[in-house]
Amino acid sequence: MQLSLIQAGLTACLVATFIAFPLAFLLRKGLLRRLSNGFLVIGTGIGALSAMASMTLKTGAVPLLPVIASFGVTFRLTPLAAPFFVVVNLVACIAAIYAMRYVDENRDAYDVPSLHGVTALFIFGMQATLLATSALGFMVSWEIMSLSSFTLVMADRSTASRKAAMLYFVMAHLGALSLMAGFLLLAAGNPLADFAALAANARTMPLREATLAFAFFFVGFGSKAGLVPLHTWLPEAHPQAPSHVSALMSGVMLKVAVYGFILCAFLIIPSLPAAAALTVMGIGLISAVFGALHAAVDTDIKRTLAWSSVENLGLIFLMLGTSLYARGQGLHALAAVAFAAALFHCIAHAIFKSGLFLSAGAIAHAVHTRSLERMGGLAKRMPTFSGAFLVLALAGAALPPFAGFIGEWMYLSGLVASLHGIAPATQAVLVLALVGTAFTAGIAVFAMVKLFSISQLGASRSAAAEAAHEPNDAIRLPVIVLAALAALTGAFASQILGVLGLGSLIMNGTMSSETIVTGRGTSLSPLVLALAVFGTLLLSLIAKRFLSRPSKERVYQTWNCGQPINAHMEYTATAFSAPIRFFFRNLVGVRKTVVTIPTTKGNSFLLKREMLLTGRSFWESHVHEPISRGFHGLGNWARRVQSGSIQLYLLFILVALAATLCIAI
Amino acid sequence: MTPILLTVIQGAVILALAPFATGLVRWCKARLQGRHGASPLLPYVTYATLLRKEMVISPTVSWVFRLAPYAVLASTALVALLLPLTSVDGALSASGDFIVVAGLLALGAVFLVLGGLDPGSAFGGMGASREMTLVALVEPSIIAVFAAFAVTSGSGTVAKMLSVTGMGLLRHPGLLLSLIAFVFVALSENARYPVDNPATHLELTMVHEAMVLEYSGPYLAMLEYASSLKLTLFAILFANIIIPMPLMTVDSGVSAMLMIIASTVFKLCAAMGLLALLESSMAKMRFYRMQEYMTIAFLTALAGLILALA
Repeated sequence: MQLSLIQAGLTACLVATFIAFPLAFLLRKGLLRRLSNGFLVIGTGIGALSAMASMTLKTGAVPLLPVIASFGVTFRLTPLAAPFFVVVNLVACIAAIYAMRYVDENRDAYDVPSLHGVTALFIFGMQATLLATSALGFMVSWEIMSLSSFTLVMADRSTASRKAAMLYFVMAHLGALSLMAGFLLLAAGNPLADFAALAANARTMPLREATLAFAFFFVGFGSKAGLVPLHTWLPEAHPQAPSHVSALMSGVMLKVAVYGFILCAFLIIPSLPAAAALTVMGIGLISAVFGALHAAVDTDIKRTLAWSSVENLGLIFLMLGTSLYARGQGLHALAAVAFAAALFHCIAHAIFKSGLFLSAGAIAHAVHTRSLERMGGLAKRMPTFSGAFLVLALAGAALPPFAGFIGEWMYLSGLVASLHGIAPATQAVLVLALVGTAFTAGIAVFAMVKLFSISQLGASRSAAAEAAHEPNDAIRLPVIVLAALAALTGAFASQILGVLGLGSLIMNGTMSSETIVTGRGTSLSPLVLALAVFGTLLLSLIAKRFLSRPSKERVYQTWNCGQPINAHMEYTATAFSAPIRFFFRNLVGVRKTVVTIPTTKGNSFLLKREMLLTGRSFWESHVHEPISRGFHGLGNWARRVQSGSIQLYLLFILVALAATLCIAI
Repeated sequence: MTPILLTVIQGAVILALAPFATGLVRWCKARLQGRHGASPLLPYVTYATLLRKEMVISPTVSWVFRLAPYAVLASTALVALLLPLTSVDGALSASGDFIVVAGLLALGAVFLVLGGLDPGSAFGGMGASREMTLVALVEPSIIAVFAAFAVTSGSGTVAKMLSVTGMGLLRHPGLLLSLIAFVFVALSENARYPVDNPATHLELTMVHEAMVLEYSGPYLAMLEYASSLKLTLFAILFANIIIPMPLMTVDSGVSAMLMIIASTVFKLCAAMGLLALLESSMAKMRFYRMQEYMTIAFLTALAGLILALA
């Protein structure tokens, strides 16, 4: 009974989401135009609830009703996909509510019906990718997801968006090709094979071929997840999309890539050489460090968030790589903890990052710019909204007791707990992961504090920021809901891990999900931590009330050495991140050039100076540009073939013919 | 004694001693520099006076400015309850995981920074940017220092790490390096020499003072008190690692309690004397050389961790 309800729910979710796509184009007028949004909200809501029910009831794999299975490509909700399906639908539901008002307010920039329609298709693509059980179903859904998000990136039809979208298109398809190669290699050329057959094939395959397939998967999923060196599209494409789409792309689509990676690396391919796991760890760590540093120095509100996604996905892949590595080394406790941490961090990141992108959309709409340098003073003008934004930023900074902290806490304590009494080489790897994660965590705090404080605090740096006011409820409520979720997910982490049932998911170890958070058998509870933090906060409020007499307050301008003060004297985002830019100048590759212009002829002392900051990252200047120069050179060299002389072309034909004949014989 | 009572006693002792620590280090420094120095008990009077003063609030500020003092004080006080300062069996010491402690310290620093930026002055921004950089860069050192203790003691909670202190340090000589790195971390966290000058009001040098510049009255008292508290808890934790004196457990009686409180005062005096000596014998480093300081701290902590693993 329950099973068939869940089945019906999942099917309804997929059908409703898919119907929302054409509906947006068909019904454009009056109240009917909301029908598409309505289908999307209700469909994704039902989907999230059904998958949650499937997880709490531990139903195992749930097939869909045969309405959809008639394609011959079956769709099923597996226990691994269930948490991802919940996250996708939950975030999609909230983003869809936000989109109704947000898109209306920006209707000059976008074509409203097609934006709503393609967003529905995009969400459908992600749902179907998670439910697919065969290589073909997976790849088709994956392409629906990629292509629809590609068109969404250029929804505002500006040149910058089109450029970003093309970059995304190229990277997405490099990744898709790589995935296809991986699947075909495992399936021995049969694209219709389901994952069980793939796993069976992989078990009988020589290790070298299985590793090659793994490499294809890692490149494919890694390029989607924005790992270096294939991350370049992410900080370009995510900010250009409309904010609710950015929230979906950064918060959820990247998690679909993580799901795919877990599916292939943990479930399908039975065992991997240590070098493969170490590569995943290394690339993850480099992405995390690099993303965090860029997030710290960027001055565009949405690009900061996109870089922070690179960082968080890097951490997730570091955790997954550690899990693979630990499994290979026989450290089963660490394998389980690292995997649990990765999965939990996926959920946490989906919540706070989509919340942050939705907030960024509301802020950018109020201030008419994405540049942090023209914001400021918003906390005073939109207090409720900024409170939610602060909670989300603290969760993003991985500070206790919010959601982002738990995954890193589990991972770090898992690493420390396994360090004793293992081979020195393994210790070295784990220590490197430990200090690398700690470093990333520190820089991530910097980035999030910059994001919040420069946009919300101080005096307003532009007239638009001066005139900003609390956003409309339809925009504010989704952000508040996500902030509440970020706080609750942090407090109830143990319970969530219990529902996820991580012990039985993949690991055959004896570790139960309750001891996962506790690390070494002590009774550390995230709930106690959250209560303690808010309890002491309350105590300090009470203490102040009792100890100080209800004091008078005087309002007087900020002290500025006795001079009047204005917003130009404040620290900007560029100034705030100057120490990080200076200390890591070789990594972030920002060059400062000072242009000196004499203002008065004949007086060399009266000068006007302009400072330019140009950013070219290490990857652009040392990896991408050499490759693109190489291809340009090859193209130029090959152009010599086209000399225009008929004789030469005839010679080519003759040579080609002769060569073909030689090979044929 | 019940665990709850132990935590309450620890909280009361540390909260009561905190202003004394700040006063004492100032007095010791004055003596070392040939000045007479104000009474070590002066901060009690200062904070009490500040609590009764009128506040001057900038028209630029938002609710964040008003929340910051509470958040800073609460997070520091919570760390004081989590750490093993006078007792090892407290109700919260099982939650005193070193990663939680590092996270709570960072949380306090973040709110201090937010409060510093809210009035929109260049001084506040300067201090905030510097403080945030220090917090970010000191993070790997904190984790590496405590990881070394965690590996040798076999536990992630700071209370259990105290099992390898005192003479135990000699059995694990690598931990001496971790201890040195701990001093580096403590100096940076508490805005002391050579990272910050706690007495300056020169814009080129101040970090902590720049952030609290716009605060006055009760809010200033709370922030200053929080930084005294932080200094106290780092000093006593340091002393507890070196001096293997027993701390309160659930079995201790009243006489043991009085002994331990007396020894805590003694530890605090010794630590503040050392700090004053250290601060009187070195110059403040330029902020843009902090990367060297942080690198040394990190490499020392890492060396300690590696030796602890061997």
